[in-house]
Amino acid sequence: MTEALNLLWLPFLAALVLTGIHAYLGLQVLARNIIFVDLALAQIAALGATVAFMLGHPVSSAGSYAYSLIFTLAAAMLLAATRTWSGRIPQEALIGVLYVVAAAGAFLLVEKAPQGSEHIKQVLTGNILTTGAEDLAAVIPLYIVIGLALWAARARLADPGGGWRGWAWDFFFYACFGVVVTSSVALAGVLLVFSFLIIPAAVGVLYAKGVGRQLAIGWAVGAAASLAGLVLSYAWDFPSGSTMVCVFGATLALAGLAWPIVRGGRRKFDRAARAVRAGAAALLVLSGTWLMIAPRADQPLLDSVEYAVPGLGVSYMNESEIEVYRDADHYAKRYQREAERLNEKEVRSRWQGEALDDQQVRRISSFLQSYNEMRKGEEFVKREVRARARARIRWLAGPVLILVGLLLLPWRRR
Amino acid sequence: MKQLLYGGFLAALVCAGATEAQEPLRIVATTADLKSLAEAVGGRRVAVASIVPPNVDAHEYQPKPQDLNRIRDATLLLRVGVDYDLWLDKLAARAKRPELRRGGAGYVDCSFAIALLDVRGSRVGPAGGHVHGSGNPHYWLDPSNAEIITGVILEALARNDPANAKYYEGERLRFLERLSAKMRGWEQKLVPAQGKPMIAYHNNWAYYARRFRLNFAGYIEPRPGIPPSPSHLAGLLKLMESQQVKVIVRQPHEPAKIAEFLAGKTGAKAALLAASVGAVPQAKDYLSLFDYNAEALANAMK
Repeated sequence: MTEALNLLWLPFLAALVLTGIHAYLGLQVLARNIIFVDLALAQIAALGATVAFMLGHPVSSAGSYAYSLIFTLAAAMLLAATRTWSGRIPQEALIGVLYVVAAAGAFLLVEKAPQGSEHIKQVLTGNILTTGAEDLAAVIPLYIVIGLALWAARARLADPGGGWRGWAWDFFFYACFGVVVTSSVALAGVLLVFSFLIIPAAVGVLYAKGVGRQLAIGWAVGAAASLAGLVLSYAWDFPSGSTMVCVFGATLALAGLAWPIVRGGRRKFDRAARAVRAGAAALLVLSGTWLMIAPRADQPLLDSVEYAVPGLGVSYMNESEIEVYRDADHYAKRYQREAERLNEKEVRSRWQGEALDDQQVRRISSFLQSYNEMRKGEEFVKREVRARARARIRWLAGPVLILVGLLLLPWRRR
Repeated sequence: MKQLLYGGFLAALVCAGATEAQEPLRIVATTADLKSLAEAVGGRRVAVASIVPPNVDAHEYQPKPQDLNRIRDATLLLRVGVDYDLWLDKLAARAKRPELRRGGAGYVDCSFAIALLDVRGSRVGPAGGHVHGSGNPHYWLDPSNAEIITGVILEALARNDPANAKYYEGERLRFLERLSAKMRGWEQKLVPAQGKPMIAYHNNWAYYARRFRLNFAGYIEPRPGIPPSPSHLAGLLKLMESQQVKVIVRQPHEPAKIAEFLAGKTGAKAALLAASVGAVPQAKDYLSLFDYNAEALANAMK
């Protein structure tokens, strides 16, 4: 427990800081309908860093940072200028083009300097787990200054107007945004920063009208989702960034599902409930039909229920099937153990005790392979037994599933 | 007598033809390591090119249009095998040179006859040839395996250029002599590192560890390309503390961040090692690759 705390408190702090600034920026991004602008600006910053690297500036030096900044500012000018350029193309299209061209351009440059690919990765794939106190000390003052500046200028930013002044305000926004995103992407990676930007803000907009309330909701949601993501990634042994992104996504889904209950009133709630029931009914009817048509094929619903409830898989097998199944399972596990033991022995012999000669290594390898094949054979037996049991019960289980599905259907009372 | 004279004349002509035709035999190798070994056997009679640039993971390499041209006029195609350079199959198929494809006279899988380590599953590559289940592909990092690899290359060279077989054989023996002289130096240098627990970024070092009796106790990224989970990092930190791990081994193209993070928490030192020729400027060829690694590791152990 203390280990987990020791390892996770700095990343959690980083997540709070990132939520703090990005939930606010996210509200602006949603209002302006420029959802993917952070990806484009981060990629532009990476392109700048790559150019700096090609010109001989070492990784994460002042020179490299200056090039990133100049590229980002140039892109900010471009974005500000194109907002009302023609009025015919949505700006999101231009943002997308900026993103792909910057990404492709960086790849072309890297072709000529392979070490640079590591560089691009470093700019774009931060790992929130390895956030250090010094990283936070560098970004927190920056974010506070930019956050305050954006807050002070909020009236202007909401309605920049036309002409040179409008362009200047737009440029100011994109420049601030670019500077923030460049630093946060290096901390947490592109995917996670995108989640910080869009999801808390989206939940805030969903549940409140005023900016203050939206922000408060966004911050609370972002903090809770970050904490849940970090804890889950520790408990389930998953990479933190990807786990957090998925938890953020699930949070948005939950918020969306809860919306009719919290906000919609009786009628909307009823409609949502009917939709959920109809979805569940369709799933059951389709699964029942699929079981009758192809009992030996993958049965996603049955498979996942059996995975979740361990005893269920054997409940519809007859006695001899259960025996064969348990036997195969036992041997599969045993072969796995044997293979691991042998492998362990070989790895240990590399530095401890008597060294194995090539002949012995080859023998171990062929044993490992045989164990692997045998384990696969047992797994095949398990699948086969299950498929046969399913084929046997399909004319009973299939109609039952369909019937339950039909009962679930939200029939309209006339 | 006349016949004998005539025969002698013919033989002289053939010899002259063989030495006169100075056009070197073209070889394409997938990696710089195989290129270096092929040059060691082929000497001045061969021109070797490699496909994967230094510091690029051959697993992830995407062939370029130029690679097709390189392969097209090659006599020999050397590959690492063991699913390390799977993309080569498609490339060779597109080159319209049947002799360079699996089983052809110019096709050389250098993993042939190597005692592979870390064999787990079965290979993903197309079946045929020797099916040995994919193992750890970094077998060139055991200098003793160079004897086997150069043997396989020699056999292929002799098959495709029989007139110069003797020359290739001599070159290979000279190389092996230099290798065994160097080997003693490397072993001596690495005696202090023997058995001392180390952490590596990725499991590239199985063969190197086996030859020089090194103990890689854990890996930062056990599944390539998937960043480590917090519980994995916590386990590593625990292991580094309990086993007193002092050195973290990393290749130049592998991310520095997590290695630095672990080093910062435990006080371990990071050692930059090259798993391939060209990964660092000092590793110019196969022999200097091991010179550099032995030196770097010995320094980190101090």
